[in-house]
Amino acid sequence: MVAIAVNAGKNCTVGQFRAMASPCEILLEAPDMSLCRQLTQLAAAETERIEQKYSRYRRSSLLSQLNRNAGSWQTLDPETSQLLAFADSCYQLSDGLFDISSGILRRIWTFDGSDKLASQSKIDALLPHVGWDKVLRDTNRIMLPSAMELDLGGIAKEYAVDKVLQLLSQQFAADDLPSLVVNFGGDMRCSRPREDGTLWRIGIENPTLADQAISAVGLSKGALASSGDSRRFLLKDGTRYSHILHPKTGWPITDAPRSVTVAAPNCLLAGMLATTALLHGSHAEAFLQAQHCQYWLVM
Amino acid sequence: MQLKQLANISMALAAASCAALGQQAEAGTLLDDWQFNSAILLYNETDRVSAGEAILTARGDFGDDKYLNLGLVVDALTGASATGAVAQPYVQSFTRPSGRGSYDVAPGVTPLDDTFHDTRVQLDASWEQPLATNWRASGGGHLSKEYDYLSMGLNGSLARDFNQKNTTVSLGLGYSHDTISPEGGIATAFAPMLLRSDYADDSSYQAAFDATRDRADDTKDTLDVLLGLTQVINRNWLMQLNYSLSMADGYMTDPFKLVSVVNANGEVQQNLYENRPDQRTKHSVYWQNKLHLGGSYLDASYRYMWDDWELTSHTADLKWRLPMTDRWYVEPQFRYYQQSAAEFYQPFILQAEPLPQYVSADYRIGKMNTYTVGAKFGTKLAQGNELSFRIALYQQNPQNDRVAAPGVLANVELYEKVTAVMAQVSYSF
Repeated sequence: MVAIAVNAGKNCTVGQFRAMASPCEILLEAPDMSLCRQLTQLAAAETERIEQKYSRYRRSSLLSQLNRNAGSWQTLDPETSQLLAFADSCYQLSDGLFDISSGILRRIWTFDGSDKLASQSKIDALLPHVGWDKVLRDTNRIMLPSAMELDLGGIAKEYAVDKVLQLLSQQFAADDLPSLVVNFGGDMRCSRPREDGTLWRIGIENPTLADQAISAVGLSKGALASSGDSRRFLLKDGTRYSHILHPKTGWPITDAPRSVTVAAPNCLLAGMLATTALLHGSHAEAFLQAQHCQYWLVM
Repeated sequence: MQLKQLANISMALAAASCAALGQQAEAGTLLDDWQFNSAILLYNETDRVSAGEAILTARGDFGDDKYLNLGLVVDALTGASATGAVAQPYVQSFTRPSGRGSYDVAPGVTPLDDTFHDTRVQLDASWEQPLATNWRASGGGHLSKEYDYLSMGLNGSLARDFNQKNTTVSLGLGYSHDTISPEGGIATAFAPMLLRSDYADDSSYQAAFDATRDRADDTKDTLDVLLGLTQVINRNWLMQLNYSLSMADGYMTDPFKLVSVVNANGEVQQNLYENRPDQRTKHSVYWQNKLHLGGSYLDASYRYMWDDWELTSHTADLKWRLPMTDRWYVEPQFRYYQQSAAEFYQPFILQAEPLPQYVSADYRIGKMNTYTVGAKFGTKLAQGNELSFRIALYQQNPQNDRVAAPGVLANVELYEKVTAVMAQVSYSF
């Protein structure tokens, strides 16, 4: 059972817990501590379910099992099928830039702020095991070539935000839905505009220079997700290597903005647009402009 | 390849994400809110001026990079300020600038006018928006009113981004029109400060006083031009270089300041109202560096100012924001300022010498150095709000610019140091 805390905030009630290596918050407009506690308990349980299923850090997770059984056909449950279908769309639409099989490269790249780059020979040894196009799939089965691995780190948290909001919304009749925000470390989604007409103002980390260490954005409906390298990076000879790896070269992206925040109707989409933008390196802003979405960049 | 990569994929991704979440497509909106900054500042000079100031600024995001900025400043000043007259080894009497009432100054004490009090209200508004790709423009105005002073102004700026927004060049223009209407009117240049005790009755004193005043108010027009260059050197270093030109035309004399005329023994014979040129052209260059150093932020700047009053100044300012805990930061500040005297500054006038065309004994345009030492403590609150406390010591050290003090002036302090303490509380929400 995840430990939760419920407190009265300014014009809202806040439920908090930790999951997926992030502080998680459920914000409820109504000043109802017991309702907020119930919703936060549901949220914590749903988040734990998703983490237990898709975390690559947990040996007992479904994802770890899939990776261990690489080399043979495996049957997928409907939820995992849908999630992998989404990952497939992302791979196709991004021309192979977003690839859930590229996580294996993290064995040789450690983004600890040091100047330790991976050697080209090690990268060359791993690259044959990267490439979503090598994975075979049919309706509800998958065949991961042996020595390959899947990593849903780029999707799971945003997916959890959307699923938690869905679950919490289902607790209410359609015309009785309160204004709620699910915020997992800056990836967030709002159920509906607030009753009192004001916006949800939520601080997002802004690793920019000087005065604006945090900027607040107003949220009334929809989602917001960020992708960036504010703390995880390598620095060598004046070049900053972000923790976002290019799946075709095996090297980190170097000329990308420091962080990208995107607004979209759901968190999964917002997160995907933000991550894909970073993968475009110095063309990140041009990519975002082509998407006609609202975005914030930290250069 | 490039064109295909930058195609719009958001519609297809949106459909895929809704499928993954097993839900209908939906519309979402996200709006930036109004951001407010508020601050209260208290300023207290030892035995001199005290001031309190309240500031409220608001920035509204109207989407598409369009912003409305609004500002309100209210401040109140009270206390005593140096008149420019020199201290003497005996009691001196002074008439208040309005001509009504007088006050005495003790032996050896720098003459201060203790009736100094004023309240000022200032309103600012500006609108900024993009004009075309990489171009931004802003326009605004200000209105500031105090008891005897009114300032109205307009300003505009144009900025162009280059080099993937790593370089920004900007041009700003500002114009302001100020009107001063001191109580009792404006004294004629070098008019003597009259004392009621030298006259037989009120009406003869009033007639003589009125003769020293030639107008009720006067004006000043100022045109400011700013050329700026902002350059992102790398991810951790932002540099800004500005050149600014300020041309003022009109009444720049301080209607409350005096200059003492002394004899060969340093004894005051008369106090005259000062007179400054009615034109001033100032230039300044400003160089600022903002650096991100392993979790801390360093802001280092230098300004060099010169003008046709032959006043030049150097300002070096250093602020370093260091994280203390997850939520709190501390920002020590050190600022050093040094100026040379304006060419017409004189601490006093010698009776034996002819009256110069312009003269002022206001220590604020004399040779001086100042320093500020302070620290700000700030914390981030929920929902992006921020609270900070700042405390600073401001020391002004007027200097003797090789002027020999005759007779009794050798034994009084002509260049009195002024120490002030500032405290500020700010809240952003």
